[in-house]
Amino acid sequence: MHDNIIDRSKDITILELLDRVLNKGVILTGDIVISVADIDLVYVGVKLMLSSVETMEQLKSGKSLVEK
Amino acid sequence: MSENKILFNTGQLEELSEEIGRLTNNEGSKLKLNPGNADSGLAKLVLTLVELIRKLVEKQAMRRVDGGSLTETENERLGETLMKLEMKMEELKKHFNLTDRDLNINLGPLGDLM
Amino acid sequence: MDKMIYSILAVKNNPEKLKTLLSGMKGIAGTDLYEVYFDQIYAVVSDINKTDLINDKSNAIQYAGVIEILAQQFTLLPMRFGSLMESTDLITKMLERNHHEFHQNLQKVENKYEFGLKVFCDSEKLKAELRARSEADNKTPAKAISEIKNSMYKNYMIKKLKEHRLEELLLTYVDSVIADITGYLTRLNAVNKFKKMATETTIIDAVFLLDKERKDALIHTFGDLQNQYTRLKFVLTGPWPPYNFVEITIK
Repeated sequence: MHDNIIDRSKDITILELLDRVLNKGVILTGDIVISVADIDLVYVGVKLMLSSVETMEQLKSGKSLVEK
Repeated sequence: MSENKILFNTGQLEELSEEIGRLTNNEGSKLKLNPGNADSGLAKLVLTLVELIRKLVEKQAMRRVDGGSLTETENERLGETLMKLEMKMEELKKHFNLTDRDLNINLGPLGDLM
Repeated sequence: MDKMIYSILAVKNNPEKLKTLLSGMKGIAGTDLYEVYFDQIYAVVSDINKTDLINDKSNAIQYAGVIEILAQQFTLLPMRFGSLMESTDLITKMLERNHHEFHQNLQKVENKYEFGLKVFCDSEKLKAELRARSEADNKTPAKAISEIKNSMYKNYMIKKLKEHRLEELLLTYVDSVIADITGYLTRLNAVNKFKKMATETTIIDAVFLLDKERKDALIHTFGDLQNQYTRLKFVLTGPWPPYNFVEITIK
C-alpha cells in the first residue's frame, strides 16, 4: 500500500518533469510541433535558422553569396 | 535526481496522477501526419481550430445575451445560428470519427484564449 | 554530429568549478559535457548523433537530470529538450547575440526556485454548489428571451444562457481563489503565473518563482489554504529549475 503511494508520487513527479523539459524552457525555434512521416519538423526549423545565420555572417563579412 | 517533487498534497494520488497525465500528455499535443492518416490528421487540426473559434464566438454571443442589450429578434437569430453551428460541428465530428478528446490538441498560446 | 544545449549558466567568478563539475558528469547517451561561453554566459553542451536522439522519455528525463545537478551549483536557464545547433562557433555567436537578454533573465532567477501548483475539483459538484448559493438561476430570462417566437430556438437560448451563467459563476469562484492565493504569495515576494480551467477538473494550473529560503513558508501557506478550501485538492511540486520563467526569444 505504501509502495503504491511512492509509485504514484514518482509518476506525478515524472509527468511534471516531462511537461517542463519538453514544453518549457528556452527554445531555439518555433512552438507548434508538426511531425510528418515521423520526422519532427522542428529540427528542420533549426537548420533553416542556422542557414540564415550563416548567410547573415557572410553578408556581414562582405563575402559574396553566389559565386559568379 | 530527486525522485519525488511533491511538496504538498491531500487525497487520492491515483486520480491526480491520471489527471496530470491527461494535462501533460505530450503525445496528444503532437500532430502526427503520416501517409496513412493524412486525411484524419488534417481533419483533426482543422476541426480543432474551427471548434476553438466556434466556442469563442458562442461565449462572446452569450455574454451579449446575458447583458440584456439585444432585442428578441436578435436573440432569436443568435439562437438559430448558434444551434446550427453546434449541430454542424457534431456532424463533422461524427463524419471524421473524432471525439471532443481528440480535438484537444495543444494549441500553445492560442489555446489560452479559451 | 550536432551539439545539444542543456542550459545557459551565469558563471561569475570560478569557471574552474564548472569544468570540474562537468568532468564528473555524463550527458544523454553517455556523452561528455563541455562548456561554450561568451563573457560570463556559458552554455552546457554535449555532442550528439541525431540517431542517438530517440524522442523517448528516458532521454528527456536524463537531460532534465543534468539540468537539475547544474542548478544545484549555478544560476541557470533550462533549455527545452531538443535544442540542437550545428557547431560550437554558432553557439558562441548565439550567446553573443543574446548576451544581454540572457544576463537579464539570469539575474531575475538568481537564488530562486520555481514551484508548481495544481488545484483540482469536481466541476459538476462545484457548479451545483455555486448555483445553490447564488440567485442567478432564479433570475427569470429577460423578456427578450422569453418572447422568442420559435420555441426550439427559445429553449436552446434558455439552455445556453443557464450554462453560460454557471460557467461565469465557476470562473468568478476560480478568480476569487486565485486572488486569495495571490494575497498570500505577495507576502512571500513571489512571481506568479496562473492558468484557469485547463480542464474541467484542473481549475488552476500555476507556477511561482520565489527565493530559495522561502520554500518552507510556501509549503506552510498551502497547508493553510488547503484547510480553507476543503472542496478543492491542492498539489504543490518543486523545487524546479526556472523552466516557466525564461523570457527569451532567441535572435
